[in-house]
Amino acid sequence: MTQRSGTSLEFDFVCTLSDGLHARPASQLAEVAIEFASECLLTNLRTGSVASLKSVLAILALDIRQGDRCVAQIRGTDEQAAHAALLRFVEQVLPTCDVPLAVSHTATASNKLPRTLQTAGVKGCFGTPVSAGIGQGKIVPVSGMALPRELKGRAAADPRSELAQIKRAIAAVRGRIQEKLAHPQSPTETAVLQADLAIASDVSLAQKLAEHVMQGKSAGEAIMAAGEYFINLLRHSESEYIRERALDIEEICLHLLQEIYGVDLKTAAIELREPSVVLAETLAPQQLLGLDRQWLKALVLEHSGATSHVVILARSLGIPTLVGVKNARSVLQPGQEVVVDAMRGFIVPQSSPAVRKFYEREQKTLELRRDLLPAQTTGPAITTDGKTLEVAANASSYEEVALAFEKGADGIGLFRTEMAYLQRQRPPSEEEQFAVYAEVARAAAGRPVIIRTFDLGGDKAAPYLNLTAEGNPFLGYRGVRIYAEHHELLQAQLRAILRASAYGQVRVMAPMISSLDEVLQFKAAISQAKQELLRKGVAFHSDVPVGIMIEVPSSAFILDQLCAEVDFFSLGTNDLNQYFLAADRDNPKTAELSDVLHPGFLRFLKRIVEEIRGAGKWVGMCGEMAAEIRHLPLLIGLGLDEISLPAAGIPAMKRMVSRLSSAECERSLAKILACRDKAEIEELLERAQPPRSAQPLLSPELVLLGSQSKNKEEAMQEIVDAFYIAGRTEDRQRLEEALWSREAVYATGLGYGFAAPHCKSDAVLADSIGVLRLNHAIDWGSVDTKPVNMIILIAMRESQNSRHMKVFSKLARKLMNDEFRGHLLAVENAHEMATFLAQQLEISLH
Amino acid sequence: MKVVAVTACPTGIAHTYMAAARLEKVGKTLGFEIKVETQGAMGIENKLTEHDISQAEIAIFAVDIAVEERERFNGVKVIQVPLQEALKDPHSIFAKIQR
Repeated sequence: MTQRSGTSLEFDFVCTLSDGLHARPASQLAEVAIEFASECLLTNLRTGSVASLKSVLAILALDIRQGDRCVAQIRGTDEQAAHAALLRFVEQVLPTCDVPLAVSHTATASNKLPRTLQTAGVKGCFGTPVSAGIGQGKIVPVSGMALPRELKGRAAADPRSELAQIKRAIAAVRGRIQEKLAHPQSPTETAVLQADLAIASDVSLAQKLAEHVMQGKSAGEAIMAAGEYFINLLRHSESEYIRERALDIEEICLHLLQEIYGVDLKTAAIELREPSVVLAETLAPQQLLGLDRQWLKALVLEHSGATSHVVILARSLGIPTLVGVKNARSVLQPGQEVVVDAMRGFIVPQSSPAVRKFYEREQKTLELRRDLLPAQTTGPAITTDGKTLEVAANASSYEEVALAFEKGADGIGLFRTEMAYLQRQRPPSEEEQFAVYAEVARAAAGRPVIIRTFDLGGDKAAPYLNLTAEGNPFLGYRGVRIYAEHHELLQAQLRAILRASAYGQVRVMAPMISSLDEVLQFKAAISQAKQELLRKGVAFHSDVPVGIMIEVPSSAFILDQLCAEVDFFSLGTNDLNQYFLAADRDNPKTAELSDVLHPGFLRFLKRIVEEIRGAGKWVGMCGEMAAEIRHLPLLIGLGLDEISLPAAGIPAMKRMVSRLSSAECERSLAKILACRDKAEIEELLERAQPPRSAQPLLSPELVLLGSQSKNKEEAMQEIVDAFYIAGRTEDRQRLEEALWSREAVYATGLGYGFAAPHCKSDAVLADSIGVLRLNHAIDWGSVDTKPVNMIILIAMRESQNSRHMKVFSKLARKLMNDEFRGHLLAVENAHEMATFLAQQLEISLH
Repeated sequence: MKVVAVTACPTGIAHTYMAAARLEKVGKTLGFEIKVETQGAMGIENKLTEHDISQAEIAIFAVDIAVEERERFNGVKVIQVPLQEALKDPHSIFAKIQR
């Protein structure tokens, strides 16, 4: 196979690697070639493209896939040695140098599009919805290489000095990667760092950079241009892995720019000019606040957990958000128009007619549902046995507070104040803060408002705080810990809060308390602020209650001392859980460990609440745990005085309180606390949910006559949407899938133009019968092969032994009766249909 | 002729009962004396007794899952068909019996 052709030595080989010649093997190959002075070229015979073997980027751009035949040509002074070394590598090392890459599944069993989209061939990528809603817009990748405005069009110095800058930057970036490599790493990390190092050392990259500088570009513009060139090359590769490597190049280019100009490009402002879907690995809260909300329609994050600060912020701003969207930046193209469905958890291209139709229909469904569901619940939430639970709202702006009271909040359980400190060069003044707090206190009209003093540090930094980067910010200098250093800042805020107390029932609360000393200092600071106001003769309420967040576990073991000092407590379950279980909530690998249903954590909460209530003090919960309606039996069982959650969830939460008995919740909690594992807890929690007998089996809203659905998928969707509008399901996707998995056993077309799809699933909130009569018969795979125009759907809850099975079996038997079917086909309207069925099945419609 | 039957489907919500209704109706029309036991979400209903089974010349199983308490039918001639057969073409099931 080796031969001399003209003046060069050659050998050919077939790539056997299943992922093709991707970055890792390519970087190893380039490492071998770079040792020699000879020119080393590689040709992919499938495409005819040629590249230098010394450049990883150039090799990657050849797009060599499994089975591709390639030729290496070596020419120069040390060609013999180079040829021998390369041949040895290709024959002996290359075929085994690569462990197969873990396949990144964009579609798994749980990741499914609705059937109507599936059958239309729509492809989507999937993530976890963390802020519900639907947003449409063009993809704007945020880590994308945008040169900050101030660097754009900057005049180039003479090419030599620009080039020297670039060289210094490359050396520095390489140095930093090598430094990291010197410390022991996992094999994967090492391989990734090596690939990065190879890119930073790449001769093609250096050449391209030099070319652009010689054309008169500044170092920054040359880096942008060279980066874009290679990114485009890779982006068109067939292999997802190589497309992803475009991100590595981007990363290296950003490092280079940072090295030269000292700016952190990731936090540079991004301008949005049209409806946009912002795509990022993750975002800092400041970055999110820097985006123009008029155009920000949805947020897609590759990483970030459901309780990270950026997600909490997105939720409070009402921005539809998906997290954990794997490889989003390599799958979704910049500028592509997409729909982000943060109700179901996927992103689909807007260009498909099926997608457009789906979301037109969705909009109607959502409007109908809004009209039908009672929007608010005023008055206190009282359990069936007469206990009141305050249902308050978390908020961080006047607008959110106003919305919360519109939704029937009993108070503001957590008013976050740190947002006002971010995104600016100077801290907010006392006056500015007073204006907001007073407005909030007034809007509350006598209901309590708990204002939490600023919780800065960690991932929430502001330039005037002079915070230094920390290896472990969540265990670092944040919350109450920075108050001593920023005494004046705290005084200004405390004065603003105290002054607002003249306008309503204001309470003040400190974050991140871990010791008694911190509480005493906080109280001393409040006294000082009061003295100052007294001295100036400014009005305030003298007995503003003082409380603390319970979020550091140590505070839970000195409650006797704390109860003697403060008036109230609020459980910050996000941090409390992550500190208690030593699991990072933002790390996808440990997210599962940071579980509020951990038996240990539940017992911990129980002890805390018992001790506080035993001391006669007030205790609420403002963490994400309180926002999940499913947890309500636990929260009532714990004996909390209050729960505080985002405004949108308040009406449903209040309704749910009124259907639970506190005595029963206590019993359920006692049983749950004895559980040994999560599955048992989940099961008991499901059983602790209130009975759903309130809803009848059938109602006229579940009867749809004159349907225009054109196929089985549309028909199924139409009935499930009707269930959703009527509040009988909150999870349409799961309900549809349950019905379809029954269809998969065999179709439920029973003949005579009738079908009886059915399922057992807790995705339906109450046992229900739905009816759909079609204008045009559709295929349903019936036993008699005839099309169907009458669909009777039976949905039964799984976890509760149904009292309705007798009705369902009666209905099934009746469907075999000609006269009964004839009547169903003949009735004229939904009401008549419901009445007829109710009478035949001997059930009530109320 | 006396016949007994058992119907059972995977979810036991609908088809078990539809098939039972169909077999009863068609059986009677064809002059059989038929009793159908359902094994659905409510468990066994209209249970076939030892007496019912001993009197029957044949047992029809229109089932997609295993029949519960199968041992009751030891020594009885059984025709087993997929449940859908009872909906699609019950007549042919009875025709088989008569043959």
